[in-house]
Amino acid sequence: MLRFILKRFFWLFFVLLGLCAITFVLSRVVPGDPAAVYLGPRAKAEQLAEVRVKLGLDKPLHVQFLYYLEDLLRGDFGESLRTHRPVMVGIWEHLPASLELMFSAMLMATLIGIPLGVISAKKENTLTDHFSRFFAVASTSLPSFWLAMLFQILFFKWLGLFPIGGRMDTVVSLVNPIEKITGFYVLDALLSGNWTALKNVLHHLFLPAVTLASYSTGVITRMTRSTMLEVLREDYITTARSIGVGEGEILFVQGLRNALAPTLTAAGLGFAYMLIGTVFIELIFFWPGIGTYVTNAILLNDYPVIMGVTLLMATFYVVVNLIVDILIALVDPRIRFE
Amino acid sequence: MSSNLNRIVFAVTIIGLLVLLVPLSGQAAKLPKDLMVFASTDSVTTWDPSASYSVELTYMANIYEPLIWVSPPGSDSQFEPALAEKWESTPDGLQWTFYLRKGVKFHDGGVLNARTVKDSFERTKSMGKGAAFILAPIKEIQTPDDYTVKFILNSPAPFDRIAASAYAAWIISPNAVQKERQWFDEGHEAGSGPYMLESYKPDEEIVFKRFDGYWRGWQGPHFDRVVVKIVKEATVAEQMLESGTADLATRVPIESGRTFNEKACCEKLVGPSYMNYAIHLNTAIPPFDNKKVRQAASYAVPYEDMIEVGLAGLGRQAIGPIPYGQFGHDDSLHQYGFDLEKAKKLMAEAGYPDGIKENVIFTYAAENAVEKAIAPLLKEQLARIGIKVEIRPMIWNAQWDLVKGGPENAQHMAALLWWPTFSDPYETLISLWQVEEKPVWNFSYYKNPKFDELINKAYATPDAVGAQAIYSEAQKILIEDAPSIFLFDQEQPVYKRKELKGIVINPAYPRVPFWYPMYKE
Repeated sequence: MLRFILKRFFWLFFVLLGLCAITFVLSRVVPGDPAAVYLGPRAKAEQLAEVRVKLGLDKPLHVQFLYYLEDLLRGDFGESLRTHRPVMVGIWEHLPASLELMFSAMLMATLIGIPLGVISAKKENTLTDHFSRFFAVASTSLPSFWLAMLFQILFFKWLGLFPIGGRMDTVVSLVNPIEKITGFYVLDALLSGNWTALKNVLHHLFLPAVTLASYSTGVITRMTRSTMLEVLREDYITTARSIGVGEGEILFVQGLRNALAPTLTAAGLGFAYMLIGTVFIELIFFWPGIGTYVTNAILLNDYPVIMGVTLLMATFYVVVNLIVDILIALVDPRIRFE
Repeated sequence: MSSNLNRIVFAVTIIGLLVLLVPLSGQAAKLPKDLMVFASTDSVTTWDPSASYSVELTYMANIYEPLIWVSPPGSDSQFEPALAEKWESTPDGLQWTFYLRKGVKFHDGGVLNARTVKDSFERTKSMGKGAAFILAPIKEIQTPDDYTVKFILNSPAPFDRIAASAYAAWIISPNAVQKERQWFDEGHEAGSGPYMLESYKPDEEIVFKRFDGYWRGWQGPHFDRVVVKIVKEATVAEQMLESGTADLATRVPIESGRTFNEKACCEKLVGPSYMNYAIHLNTAIPPFDNKKVRQAASYAVPYEDMIEVGLAGLGRQAIGPIPYGQFGHDDSLHQYGFDLEKAKKLMAEAGYPDGIKENVIFTYAAENAVEKAIAPLLKEQLARIGIKVEIRPMIWNAQWDLVKGGPENAQHMAALLWWPTFSDPYETLISLWQVEEKPVWNFSYYKNPKFDELINKAYATPDAVGAQAIYSEAQKILIEDAPSIFLFDQEQPVYKRKELKGIVINPAYPRVPFWYPMYKE
């Protein structure tokens, strides 16, 4: 297993290098003056010229790239042209909000998707199965930004059940502020015993998490149903039934365990994909995560931020895939690392 | 078999419902009277008052103070005392003396004196960032006593307007004036204004609390705290206002703006601003190298329709380049009206009786909803006089880059939203139409040395009446030459809950809601 992991990280290095080069070139080729982003829209010509030298923009592209790589190796992702703060600081500030949203969404997706898939498989071709399949297709087909706005209108404007966005109510955040421990509001509220804030944070988390979970829920439901159908037709299932093993154990222990591998793969990919999917969700629910951070950067071609977040997302994607592969091997001993 | 499965399904359903229902028990708390929530689109690019030159002005103007403020329209005098109680200048405009208010404290305990003012201006000037260029006329700053500051200028300049500027004129605490920019950008401030920065979460929320030691005092109703929520979506801001989770918003969707006053909860206040829109015509290449074509285009624009479509009626047709209400504006100047017959006649006189064969490229900032809305109107009407427009929305930086790429490569027409750094016409006129080999803001590649000479002369004229006369003369030339189509001056709407009172709209400080006089009924 160790060899497998090392090999994956070895290839990760080349993936990141290639991604870095492509993003670097694209961000320099796109029209726009980074010096103008750095100084603001009203900068004078002399100020712009001075900043171009400071940022190394007067150097040839390949030299700029080498300088960038050199800084990367020292853990320096550069400085945001817009906010003049280190990109790493910006990422660390915004990442917990996105991860909290993603973990919540993934939890919802698996808690709903797996049981629904199992039940759907068990009750194949019944009304339950049809409903479940319709739900899964709808979840994967409907655009997340559209769903987000629909949920806001339905649950905020018409029914008044949930807040429109943000991580916490203003008054609650002032009267019951959460002590910052991890940056995850739910976790920090739990750890500090701040139940008022915890309730409020969950209230705010619900709609964005449901929206983000929709696609993965559909995928997990369909994948689980599909693999369960195959597993339930296996001889050992028939044998288990004939010797009197309970249906619950057959489904959720004997059957699901063998069907879990593809579901885990789908869930893992879905989780990694969520980091990209959060962009729209965060914009609409004004959730201050990585999506918001990179959207503001894209609109201004704030290339250090764009590159930093791109590298982060790529690394995240590869690492999550690796974790999923390891989990699958643990769940299913038949799989060996090759 | 079924009973076990059913139990499992039942258990999962109950657990699932509990997980889903727990959040439903939460209710949003109503906003108390001593708290204001402001749904703002304005992110902070820097907290450094010497470098600030963007929309964080919204917050800076509540944290910091200048020596004097430009008074809102309708006031008895042009300026209002702030950290200076009175001021005077020599007849030649080369020396300006400010007499400081005594007993003013800063948020960090520092005390205002002449040295503080001198150091603040020198810091800003030496950093050379943001709008520091407006301090170029300063030759020397003298402090004859603890509460007197004398500015000696290289050449005459309207230093009262410079000292009242929205940028580069903030006075910084003596305890922080030597700090580097990084210290400020970590979320620190060093102002004397009514509100202090309490916490800052980038792109999320900024919390301000009142400064108990503020020199004006806190008699009467005021907010103890102001919470700014960074909300980029106009629809969301509108819904926050309606639901009472915000008291004030920067903007709502254009369509909602028209009917906003019909809402029971909320209302829209409108005041003047110094922001205006123009379309700059590339005078270096055909067809706009021909003055008559430019004038024809100016007569072919449906100004009132554009104001309605682009600004939901919140604007007035421009008279020349200086917006209504700003020093330098002259109502008696010529204003192009929508007159297609006149436009066609001018096209014929220009040698284009049948129109222009090639398309002209019109660019606008894709992020700007106003420019996006008016682009089709422009295209439609110019087509009627034989100018075929190809519309190209571009990200602002890309558009700017294209303009600066040389006249042959630049677009034929470029829309631009402009507002002055300080409320004097000089900066607008010199930035947008001064002769430049490599333009920064002279999008029209306009070259008229006579015009340059006039505006430089006006800037150096100490008395306001004399300066106005020269500015008017310069604007006459500009309007006659028509290097730009002067579209409209934008009005400044403020969207708020009805119970929020005390709003002051001051066009010299664009988009700034001054929190100190505000309160809730």
